Amino acid sequence: MIKLIMEKELKEIISSPKFVATFAVCSALILLTFYMGGQNYLLSVKRHSAAIAENQRQLGGLTDWAKVRTSRIILPPQPIEALVVGVSNDIGRSIEVMGRGELEAVDSRYGSDTIYAVFRFLDLNFIFQIVMSLFAILFAYDAISGERERGSLRLVFSNGVPRDKYLIGKLLGAFLAVAAPLALLILLGCLTLPLMGVHPSTGEWGKLALIVLSGFLYFGAFLTLSIFVSASTRKSSNSFLILLVVWVCFVLILPRVSALLAGKAVDVPTIDSISSQKMRLSAQLWRDDQRLISNFRPTSKEMEKMGQEFQEFMQELSKARNDKSMELARQLNEERTNKRKLQESWALALARISPSATFSIAAAKLADTGLALETGFLKQAYLYQKVFADFMVEKTGETFDGRHMIIKMSDSDETPEPIDPLELPVFEYQARPLLEVAAAALPDMAVLFIFNLIFFTGAFVRFRKYDVR
Amino acid sequence: MFTTLIEKELKLVLSGKKFIWTFSISAILIILSMTIGLMEYKFAVRNYESAVNLNEQALRETTSYGNLFMQAHRKPDPMQIFSIGVHNDIGRNSNISSFSEIKLVNSAYTDDPIFAVFRFPDLSFIVQVVLSLFAILFTYDAISGEREQGTLKLTFASPVPRAQYVLAKLIGSWLGLMAPLAIPFLIGILILLLSGVPFTGEHWLRMSLFTGATVLFCSFFAVLGLTLSVFTRNSSTSFLLLLVIWVATILILPRVAVMAAGQIITVPSQAEIEGQRDGYSKQAWNEYESLMQKSWKARNVEMDGMNKAEAQAWREANLWQWMLDDEAAREETEKKIHAFAARQNEDLQNRKAMLQKLALTISRLSPASAYQLIAMDLSDTNVNLKSRYLALMQTYRKDFLTYREKKIDETGDKGGIRITMDSDAGLSVVTGRDKGVLDLSDMPDFSPKISRTDHLYQDVIVNMGIILILTFLAFTMAFVRFLKYDVR
Repeated sequence: MIKLIMEKELKEIISSPKFVATFAVCSALILLTFYMGGQNYLLSVKRHSAAIAENQRQLGGLTDWAKVRTSRIILPPQPIEALVVGVSNDIGRSIEVMGRGELEAVDSRYGSDTIYAVFRFLDLNFIFQIVMSLFAILFAYDAISGERERGSLRLVFSNGVPRDKYLIGKLLGAFLAVAAPLALLILLGCLTLPLMGVHPSTGEWGKLALIVLSGFLYFGAFLTLSIFVSASTRKSSNSFLILLVVWVCFVLILPRVSALLAGKAVDVPTIDSISSQKMRLSAQLWRDDQRLISNFRPTSKEMEKMGQEFQEFMQELSKARNDKSMELARQLNEERTNKRKLQESWALALARISPSATFSIAAAKLADTGLALETGFLKQAYLYQKVFADFMVEKTGETFDGRHMIIKMSDSDETPEPIDPLELPVFEYQARPLLEVAAAALPDMAVLFIFNLIFFTGAFVRFRKYDVR
Repeated sequence: MFTTLIEKELKLVLSGKKFIWTFSISAILIILSMTIGLMEYKFAVRNYESAVNLNEQALRETTSYGNLFMQAHRKPDPMQIFSIGVHNDIGRNSNISSFSEIKLVNSAYTDDPIFAVFRFPDLSFIVQVVLSLFAILFTYDAISGEREQGTLKLTFASPVPRAQYVLAKLIGSWLGLMAPLAIPFLIGILILLLSGVPFTGEHWLRMSLFTGATVLFCSFFAVLGLTLSVFTRNSSTSFLLLLVIWVATILILPRVAVMAAGQIITVPSQAEIEGQRDGYSKQAWNEYESLMQKSWKARNVEMDGMNKAEAQAWREANLWQWMLDDEAAREETEKKIHAFAARQNEDLQNRKAMLQKLALTISRLSPASAYQLIAMDLSDTNVNLKSRYLALMQTYRKDFLTYREKKIDETGDKGGIRITMDSDAGLSVVTGRDKGVLDLSDMPDFSPKISRTDHLYQDVIVNMGIILILTFLAFTMAFVRFLKYDVR
């Protein structure tokens, strides 16, 4: 029985002009997304390797590792990033690593190429979140109320059709009618990637599959919601308008309002106040040290020893200053990070009231373009900093904080050997593995599933008592 | 006759349930987006003011001109409430000093990415996406719907001129569409005024242009709906066709334009640019160092053969000159690096300008992006905001450094420490003298001005012209076609 109803629904949808139009729109959007995403990725790779090569080239010709002092590391582009953009274009993607001190990621893509910030990118998140949810409404807003208006509902139930089976059949039919062609299109899109020369790893294919799965869960949530609303109204025009309002709230309003509320609830200290405090401390420390420095009296009278003594004295002071500054920076940053985390978790928790936000959080987590991308990049950068510092100590005997210039005098006339840039430790970014992102996104996917259940139960309860006349 | 027709159409629109719903949705969205825009603006102003205050405090605590250090901040403008543009994407401030180049850092989104996760649609986005959809909803069945209901046949049973009919249809539904747009917008403006947003005369001019562009943009979609309803027999067909056109113009075309332009003109990434700059500066300092070594050696050579006292006297006589020479060489190197960075920057800006021009030219085919460009131009948040600020800050950097140098010359206070070593007198260190509070009353201020280029209004007019032409074109087509429309 269910199968029959499903088939009827499926046929009805597929033969409608509505379907043809939405299918055309969908295919254009999805194929474009994959094509442009692929091209975009290739372009990013080109730019990334050019930047790496430039960093290598600039070391050529130097003769002393002490002059290298810093190393610039860049967050490499990931193929899947182009398909679910997340915050990957908003966060800084390049870090200048010094031997010690704080690291800061700078140069976000939108910040440096503002033209992209204006029109943004087309990605799967956008397609599912905005377009597919609209289509779900379009296909199911009249599932019950529309049939009633046409009188076909009365006709159906004059035969002995159980209501629950009818509802399930309707739902499955509508779901399949959209999901199957959509899956086909996405598959086609995936095929274009290798054709363009983009080769995601197995893990990345897995992530993509999970993203699409969450997309379908999200689509299902809107479909069941539409049936629910349709089963709660008498007229299809009413259910359409109600759904439109709900859609606007879920997609446009709720997510951002939750971020705003979280911003109001948790006061995160601004970067400006932190950097000002840091600057003031270091100015203060320098003033204090100036007094010490002017009172410095060497014990030895020999020129060479005097110089050496002074150098050691200055090194010590500088180290002490650096330690104090770092301590303050650590405290301030920790406070800010904690507050920020609290704010973020509030915002995300509130936003999950909306299935749209839940889906976009899940998709970003799966694509590794969520908020964790930034912290992960920084964490790996700090690990690299250690490696780099060790390397510099091995080569030159000291680390540098990148601010001071050191001039070494040598008496020999022979030209020193140039350094080998290839010796410099290479930064290799490790994207989070499939299992890790899947585990992180599982709660969100579960929330999406629960939305399905709630809406379906609602639809079921309403429909059981629905007046079919 | 004409007014009767308009009246009839207007009544039809206003009494419909569609009207109530679209009115309430657009009222919620418009007022909400303006209120949230207002909150964001106030937040940005608070941030800006506290940053400027902190900077002033740091200046007050500086005790030597040599250590004078500035941070220039980008100032938020109340017009951003209407279209946020790139405001949150680009850095908010830059350091102004002799040893670093101008670079806008700390964008709102890099500081707090959570706000980048949930971007709020600003007013221009709401107009672009939601109101254009409503415009279509108002007119998609203007003709084909009447035909389906049979009223078209009825109407033309009496001698109603077709030209007047189609014009009245358009005007009636247009008036109906303006209500959900204008009333919430006016309420929004009222809210802004009541909360004390400092609008100047220039702002009012921009706001009225923005309003005009918004009306024009919505009219385009209303006319487009009418046109499609004339060209189709069924209202459902016209609705679906309109939906496809809507997706293409609003969602696809602008993005494709930018991506296509990005493929045609490649711009080196910021990381690559920084890499080149790092490389150049490392080489320059390398050269400086070998130069120093050479000159120090040369000085030692001059002293060869002198006895201790002679050498000491010679050194004392020349020490000042040597220091000046070394200093000049150092400054020369700094200037060289800055010149390289400036050249490179100019190059980059040129390439970027080319890319932007191409992208924007292609995207203007879509009235949606023409509208978005108008909104950003008028809100002073367009793609050029960054380069404009960079240029302003470059100029300021020059002024600031000249001032600093002048002051250093006047007071002879270079800030750093000076070390003299002598085998007789031992080692002595002179640190910058503590002068207490500096008199900074004549220091140049960084005062970011709202851009007032002639191009701005010219661009706005051109973009509005594009939308206007498209609207006329669509209407002419509808008009001509309707004269021959089969009313059965």
